[in-house]
Amino acid sequence: MKSFLTAIVKAFKLFISYQKTNLSAGMEYRAAFFTQVFAMILNNSAFIIFWMILFDRVGTIEGYDFQAVMFLWALAAVGFGIAAVFFGNSTYLSRIIYNGELDVYLLHPKPVLPNLLMSRTHVSGWGDLSYGIILFLFTQDTSISHLFLFGIFSLLFALILVSLRVMYHSITFFMGNAEELAARSSDAIISFTLYPGTLFKGPVLLVLHTLIPAAFAAWIPYEIIKNFDLTKLLLLIGADFVIASIAYGVFHLGLRSYESGNRMGARL
Amino acid sequence: MIISGNYKLLQGRSLNTVIQIQNLRKKFNTKIKSSGFAAAVKSLFNPQYQTTHAVDDISFSVERGEVLAFIGPNGAGKSTTIKIITGIMYSDSGNVKVLGMDPHRQRKQLAYRIGTIFGQKSQLWFHLPPVDSFYLLADIYDLDRNRAKKRINFLTEVFQIGSYLKVPVRKLSLGERIRCEIAASLIHEPEILFLDEPTIGLDVIVKQRIRNLIKTINSEDKTTIFLTSHDTGDISSICRRAIVINHGQIVWDDTVNKMKYSFFKKKTVDLRLQSPLQLEMDGVKILKTKNSSAKLEINLDLVDLTAVFDRIMQTNQIKDMTVSNPPLDEVISLIYSKDKR
Repeated sequence: MKSFLTAIVKAFKLFISYQKTNLSAGMEYRAAFFTQVFAMILNNSAFIIFWMILFDRVGTIEGYDFQAVMFLWALAAVGFGIAAVFFGNSTYLSRIIYNGELDVYLLHPKPVLPNLLMSRTHVSGWGDLSYGIILFLFTQDTSISHLFLFGIFSLLFALILVSLRVMYHSITFFMGNAEELAARSSDAIISFTLYPGTLFKGPVLLVLHTLIPAAFAAWIPYEIIKNFDLTKLLLLIGADFVIASIAYGVFHLGLRSYESGNRMGARL
Repeated sequence: MIISGNYKLLQGRSLNTVIQIQNLRKKFNTKIKSSGFAAAVKSLFNPQYQTTHAVDDISFSVERGEVLAFIGPNGAGKSTTIKIITGIMYSDSGNVKVLGMDPHRQRKQLAYRIGTIFGQKSQLWFHLPPVDSFYLLADIYDLDRNRAKKRINFLTEVFQIGSYLKVPVRKLSLGERIRCEIAASLIHEPEILFLDEPTIGLDVIVKQRIRNLIKTINSEDKTTIFLTSHDTGDISSICRRAIVINHGQIVWDDTVNKMKYSFFKKKTVDLRLQSPLQLEMDGVKILKTKNSSAKLEINLDLVDLTAVFDRIMQTNQIKDMTVSNPPLDEVISLIYSKDKR
């Protein structure tokens, strides 16, 4: 138990150290840092106007009103922001594999995947993160219980998004380059989670519960926050951890056939 | 075929073995394709693969404190071997023990005790000063703040990098960056340091400085050095032993000195004489003469050096002379070419 706790403390310490280093690297170009953050906030805000106009005309869409859709947007923005800020390398995994850059992480005395994922930050992710929080505070019920649930769902959203990227990028180990596939699946889950889940029926819904698990990322959390159900919450957490475990397994299976490389490179 | 006798057999096996490799093998299946669009389409539906035996049944061991050159032409299997030893890559078969550990099963434990510098892969953050990377690495290796600070101060002094410790890496010269890279790889006081082309692209002065630093690390910290380099200057000035690998197999394993002496049976002699040279002798080839100076190539298989000098001194007087071995470059080229298949 003591060694487990020590490992957790060490992992947290390293996590903080990576964040400090990434933030310092980002702040080297302060103007670019703040421009990226504010550009992302502005970009996301533009969509609110679109949804306001739409709901002003139609009232509700398949049981979702303006506030419900804003919940999806806030959740996706914070989840995406967490993934971008704290697990930034998840978008570059294919490139890291086919360029042989995994070597650096394999030479560290740390678990490869978490070490690799958290070693890079996307500065613009701070913009998404801030935007999502502000949007939630202005459009949703800000009771402690809702804030708490929103926090949990945001972390779970990030977990699913990162797992999905890891899973599809890991195909690079076997096929040579799965960068596009992974990027499209990542885009797909974000896009689907921004629309009411009730719009989708039949085989599409099956895909959205399996290959692109948007349902677990956003729609089920929305149902839980609307009508709290502990069993549903626990099942959701269980399902999310199954997805994460599959991603972890696929990555480690691929790692066995990692061939490294000699490409020149620098850490940015 | 190993050209020299196995170094370890000559030296006797010691309890201080830090790397033990037995019958290591690794092969790659590489997709091959002819040029052109039609071949690309054909390859899409009917891919053809070629098997390359990158490492083909190699065995060797390294003792604590040794400075070993692990050399070979491009594609010989050097990097693959190092990547297997350091736990980056899996082997197909064979037994690898580094500091008594299996590099794959005990990758994390081993990482605390080895350091690596791959010339083309930086550990330093490009936009940050080296000191930030040093402290991040200290956290990666679980060093507490005090120990990290002491170690960084020590390395700063030894490597004389204090003046640019706080300058972003992107603004450093290559030589300054490599010094910081080596310092970074030593933060956690590794017992074995793997260096892959550490002096690539450096000027002669910086190269010499890096070589001296590597020697210092070896002598002061007793760090075992495992060096790959195409620069024979690195090998002759740092390493006592060399393993030459070609086509995935070890073709030479012995001391660097022996490599020079036993491989070339020829010596080059520069002479300054009292009068112009008159000499005809089996095993002696006159390369150049000018007034009373001469340059000879003497084949030691056919004639002794002393016999040649005796013959010259019967009719002449030697004022000055230099006997030289062939350059290490030529020796290594010869080893490579002897193994050509």
